[in-house]
Amino acid sequence: MEIMKRIFILLGSLDRRIIFLIVGLSVLIPLLKPEWVNLPIRPRPESQIVFNEINKLNEGDKILLSFEYGPSTKPEIHPMSIAILKHLFAKNIQVYGFALWPDGNFMSTEAFSEVSHDYGKKYGIDYVNLGYKPGAEAVVKGIAADIHALYTVDLKGTPINDIPMMKDVVNVENFDFVFSLSAGYPGSTEWVQYACDPKNIPLSTGVTSIQVTDILPYVENGQIRGILAGMPGAAEYESLVEAELREMELSVKPGKASSMMAAQSIAHVMIVLFIIFGNITYYITRKNKGEDKI
Amino acid sequence: MISAEIISAWVFVLLTLCIFSFLYKDNPFYKAAEHLYVGASAGYVAVISFWQQVQPNMFGRLWPSRVDVDDGSIFTSVWYVIYEIFNFISTGFGILDRSIFPEGGIKGFEEIRFIYLIPFILGIFMILRLVPKLGWLARWAIAYIVGMAAGLRFYGYLNSNVLIQIKASAIDFTSDWGTIVNGLIIFIGTISGLIYFFYSTEHKGIVGRLSRIGIYFLMIKFGASFGFAVMGRISLLIGQFNYLKDYSSSAYNYATPVILVFIIICLAIWSIMGDENKNESTA
Repeated sequence: MEIMKRIFILLGSLDRRIIFLIVGLSVLIPLLKPEWVNLPIRPRPESQIVFNEINKLNEGDKILLSFEYGPSTKPEIHPMSIAILKHLFAKNIQVYGFALWPDGNFMSTEAFSEVSHDYGKKYGIDYVNLGYKPGAEAVVKGIAADIHALYTVDLKGTPINDIPMMKDVVNVENFDFVFSLSAGYPGSTEWVQYACDPKNIPLSTGVTSIQVTDILPYVENGQIRGILAGMPGAAEYESLVEAELREMELSVKPGKASSMMAAQSIAHVMIVLFIIFGNITYYITRKNKGEDKI
Repeated sequence: MISAEIISAWVFVLLTLCIFSFLYKDNPFYKAAEHLYVGASAGYVAVISFWQQVQPNMFGRLWPSRVDVDDGSIFTSVWYVIYEIFNFISTGFGILDRSIFPEGGIKGFEEIRFIYLIPFILGIFMILRLVPKLGWLARWAIAYIVGMAAGLRFYGYLNSNVLIQIKASAIDFTSDWGTIVNGLIIFIGTISGLIYFFYSTEHKGIVGRLSRIGIYFLMIKFGASFGFAVMGRISLLIGQFNYLKDYSSSAYNYATPVILVFIIICLAIWSIMGDENKNESTA
C-alpha cells in the first residue's frame, strides 16, 4: 500500500512536459499504425437526425451552406464539409456557399474543388460560392432580407446577376434548408436568431466540440435539427454518407475524420487516466499533510 | 524539384512546430510564429473586408457605373469629379494604376444611394481615432455600432433564446414517461440554476436548497463543457499531427523530421546560452 502511495505521489510530481509527450505519443501512434486500434463508429441520434433531414431533400432543392470556420478548426469541421457536399452532390441538390468568417473563403473553395469534380458538378449551375462579407449578424440579417443588396459579386468576382442559379434566389426564404458549419461567433446561433427562427427555415449544424453544450438547447427544442458534434460527429456523418453512396452505387472515398477517430479515442483514455491519477495523488497528498481535517 | 506545394508544406511544418515549441517553454521560435500569425490575420481581415464590403457595397453604391446613372446634370458631373479626386489620392497622386475606383464608376448598382454617405463619414470618424485631437469623433461611430447591435440583437435574442426556450422548458404531460421525466429534469435545472444567480434574497431555507441544486446542474454543465473542450483540443492536435505525418514523406523532402531536428538543436543551443548568461549575471 505504501509503495502504491509513493507511486501516485511520484506521478503527481511528473514534469508537465512528460505528460505532453505521453499525450502526443498517444495521438501519434494510432495515426502511424491505425491497424492497431480498430474501433467501430456508431452514429448517435443527433448525427442521424442531420443525415435524415438532408436525405429528405429532393433533387433540385436549394441548400444554403455557410462556412464559419478557419484553418485553426479545420480538423474538426472540414471533414463534415466534405461529407455533406458528397451527400448533397450525390442527391443533385443545388448548393449555395456563404462565409461569415474571412478564412471561410479558403475552406469553402477547398471543399468545393475537392468534391465537385468527383460528381461532375458545374459552377454557377450546381453550386455557387458567394464568399465572405464582414458584419456578422448583420450579414445573416441581410441574407434573410435581400441577398442581392448584400452580394453584388461572387467570390470569383462574377456579378451574381450573371450566375444562372442566382436568378430565382432573393433571400433565405428561397432555400429549402440551411446548414451552418460553425466554429464560433458568428455561427449557428446567429443563423437561429436572425434567419431560421424568424423565417421558419429548417437548419442543421456541424460545430466544434467546444460549442456543443451551447448549441444543444437549440437542438433539444427543434430550433436546430440535429447536430454534428466535433470530429466524432464528422466521422459518424461520414459513415452514414458512405453507406448511402454505396446504396446509390456511387464511388466511395473514405473520409478523413473516421481515420482519425482511433487517435481520438486513445487520447481520451489517456486523459481520463491522468484525471483519475491526478485526483488520487491530490487526495493522498492532502491526507499526508493532514489538510482534510481542516 | 521544389514546387510551390513543397514550399508551402515546409512553411506549414515550420510554423506548426514553432507553435508546438511553446510546450517546452516560451522561446523565440514561438514568439516569431505568434507575431506572424497575428500580423497576417489582421492584414488579411483588413484587406478582405475592404475589397468584399467597403469597395463594392459602399463606394459601389455612392459611385455606381456612370453609364447607368448619368442623367447629364451638372450635379452628377460634380459628383463624379469627387470620385476622380478620390481615385487620384488612392493611386498615390496618379503614380499607381486604378484599382479601388475603376474608370467610369463601380459596377453592381444602378442608382446613386446618398444614404451611404453616413457609413462613409462614420468610417472616417473611426479612422480619426489615430489623430489625438480628433479622436473624440470616433465615439460617434462606436455609439452607432453599439446602438445598432443592441437593437439588432434584442429581437433575435428575445425570440430565440428567451421565448422559445421558455416554451421548450414547459412539461408536456400528454407525452410518454421518458419525455415527462426529461422535461421535469430540464424544468428543475432551469429554475434552480436561475435561483442560484438570484442575489436579491439571501440563499437560506428553501431558496438556499434550490440554489444548491442549481450548483449541481451548473457543475454538470461545466463538466460537459470541459469534456467537449478537451475533445476539441485533441481533435485539433490530431489534425495537425496528421499533416505533420503527411509532410514527413520523401514527396515533401522530409519536411517534418528535418525541421523538427533543426528546432530541437536551436532550442538546445538557445537554452544552454540562456543558462550561461544567467550564470554570468549572477556571478
